[in-house]
Amino acid sequence: MNPAVEESVPAIPLIDFVRPLPGFPGLTQFALVQVDDDGLLSELRSVEDSDLSFLVLPPGPFFPDYAPEIGDDVVEDLGVTSPDEVIPLVIVNAGDTLATTTVNLLAPVLVNTARRTACQVILDEDLSVRAPLQA
Amino acid sequence: MLVLSRRVGEMIRVGDDVTVTVLEVRGDVVRIGIQAPRSVAVHRAELIVELETSNQEAASPAEGTAAALAAALRNRKD
Repeated sequence: MNPAVEESVPAIPLIDFVRPLPGFPGLTQFALVQVDDDGLLSELRSVEDSDLSFLVLPPGPFFPDYAPEIGDDVVEDLGVTSPDEVIPLVIVNAGDTLATTTVNLLAPVLVNTARRTACQVILDEDLSVRAPLQA
Repeated sequence: MLVLSRRVGEMIRVGDDVTVTVLEVRGDVVRIGIQAPRSVAVHRAELIVELETSNQEAASPAEGTAAALAAALRNRKD
């Protein structure tokens, strides 16, 4: 199953991560907040640790060929009933400029917008955790 | 740590439903087969470390980063 291709990201007040993000054990509740007016750049803000946030982007506008395959285990974990419910987001590691900004294509965050569940999955593909945003 | 010696073709059971098989040994490379339920995530350990590091580097960008990036993305489209 492939997730929906989104040009913009909906704001979701509360998302439950079914597994914590690797590197941040114990933190499962995040809010998805739009940062810009286009709804392109968003922020995942931890509810449990107010200092913790991640910048995220929908990969579609930047990587048109990027189509993460969602495994049955993730479909089950996120309670997915239709591919349209799922949007992929990539975590941004912001550099000083766009040229030095990278995104994690190997491990996208998949969000079930209907159930408000999410998890970061490691794809079984040859992709980088630090892919330049501008190819 | 439990240390076991195994020959090619021999297996190790972990818990009730994980089986590790030594498939091939060639020089310093060992090929291992892992049978596990789908709910058990199996990954190369260094990949998890790389992901943890990448997440930690991306976490909590400095104040102003989001606004600067948003502006740069807007300019890119113009």
